[in-house]
Amino acid sequence: MQNRIFGLETEYGLLVHQDRPDHSPTWFVHKLRDHIFHVQRRGVIDLHQRGYDEPPGNGGFLTNAGRIYLDMGHLEYATPECESLADVVASDRAGDRVLQQAIDELGWNDTVSLIKNNIDHETGATFGCHENYLVTRQFPFTMRGLAPLVTFLVTRQIFTGAGRVGSAGIQEAWVQMDRLIVPRSVVGLGRDAGQLPFQISQRADHIVNDFFEWVQQNRAIINTRDEPLADPNQYRRIHLLLGDSNIAEFATALKFGTTGLVLQLIEDGYAPSGLEIDDPVECLQEISHDQDRRWLVRLRSGDTISAIDIQEQFLAAALDHYTGQDEETDWVLAEWETVLRDLRGEHTALVGRVDWASKLWLLETYRESERVGWDDPMLKSLDLEYHNLHPEKSLYHGLIQEGRVPRLTTDSFIESAADHAPRNTRALGRGELVKYLLAGASSQGEDLSAQEEQFVPPYIINWSIFKLRGHPPFPMPDPFKTYVRDVRAHFQRESSDFPLAP
Amino acid sequence: MDGKKGLGIMRYSSMPERREGPVDPMPKPAGPSEEGGGPRRPETGSPEKDNLLKRMRKVDPKQAERYRQRTGE
Repeated sequence: MQNRIFGLETEYGLLVHQDRPDHSPTWFVHKLRDHIFHVQRRGVIDLHQRGYDEPPGNGGFLTNAGRIYLDMGHLEYATPECESLADVVASDRAGDRVLQQAIDELGWNDTVSLIKNNIDHETGATFGCHENYLVTRQFPFTMRGLAPLVTFLVTRQIFTGAGRVGSAGIQEAWVQMDRLIVPRSVVGLGRDAGQLPFQISQRADHIVNDFFEWVQQNRAIINTRDEPLADPNQYRRIHLLLGDSNIAEFATALKFGTTGLVLQLIEDGYAPSGLEIDDPVECLQEISHDQDRRWLVRLRSGDTISAIDIQEQFLAAALDHYTGQDEETDWVLAEWETVLRDLRGEHTALVGRVDWASKLWLLETYRESERVGWDDPMLKSLDLEYHNLHPEKSLYHGLIQEGRVPRLTTDSFIESAADHAPRNTRALGRGELVKYLLAGASSQGEDLSAQEEQFVPPYIINWSIFKLRGHPPFPMPDPFKTYVRDVRAHFQRESSDFPLAP
Repeated sequence: MDGKKGLGIMRYSSMPERREGPVDPMPKPAGPSEEGGGPRRPETGSPEKDNLLKRMRKVDPKQAERYRQRTGE
């Protein structure tokens, strides 16, 4: 894709298969993290306080330059910086592989499962799957400039949604009204959808704002926090938290590919106009809830148009301007067109490519076979099992085994992506650093005072900078550069005999 | 990928130094078909059901109740 860095952060749910668990889910996630860093030695654990809720030892960077850490009691995996859709798919699945292998090695497959979803049907809890897209600082990050992106994001769920049984209750939250921040309920926002059998998105019920800076309890269609994790004079990071955790590789690739192209349309001034949605938050939920799947959208102009028609307008603009741009762009354009065409027919045509369609087909198959209604509690359990990371349990993997899922990567590339960073982004330099530290070479030749030994950690690593004790900081402000030569030179100044990777 | 071009390029297998040096052509990964069972677009209509139903019937009906998660982020 053209001048784009992609990244994905996924929070996993942990299911304990016991009536009276010996330990809490939190105990298990701590043990899994410790196994990954201290037994498998897949990365280096943070030794410094990264933030308010990230004390030393909370997580760390991996040899693939991604991160595993604990966030609000959930295991979370962040991919390394990826410059292609192929890499972001492989890197994302590499996180699943690392976590499931830890469960396998600990012999816990009968005790716990990691569930890559975004909701708890019973508690109403939600947890995220956040997308990151690097854009230039010149990107029109204003309400007017972002209006086409809002329209695209609200309607893209028709092919990116993971689907769920039921709905969440009314979400309490703070919303911005002009210059005031007030409780949502005070201004009459939010509605109870009642008991829905099935909806196409997991996160739609939990998105309560169009634009907002905060995250917890105030999830917005577009998160406005300005944290580029790169040179702020050159770059901005578009951080999206409305998406579902996709299980289908196809859905992950199409989600990133289409969103990347829409960002490019906005950057280039080619985004379709006149498609501003009257109430984007309410529309997001209405589309997800629509049992007839007509997906009608009320525009600010007063017109009503379907989500498929809106997506086709974005597709037409992208076809006009970006056909032939590169192989991945052509793949996205072709599959986007095919999926939109198929969405006009029966959802069974999308099984294997679109997660909500796969899940709905599985649930309908079960209901028909067992003659149960949508209120049968088993359906919620099946909903979870679609997202189980264990390949012998996961319903999605069941579809793979039946040969009904188009694969976009291979198991061997996923295995490689679990150990190694993409070789054309900043991740390569960071991955080299992590391997260097795991080799135990960082303390060689240090001449430290007792105070330095006690209070200065041997290394501090962040996305855009690292520092080794006794050495100046090493900034990496450009995610498009690998920095690998400079990183190796930095090591060589510290240690002449570290065995560098070829 | 159903015979289409596009996502076959992986960046893990070569080492271009973007903005610092020449970019080598990337070898394509082995196609999924070389790993057994090529990708197939789902056909219109229902996939095979028997094996999937067996898998679904093994699911613990109480697991949604046991799945006690906190809100994250």
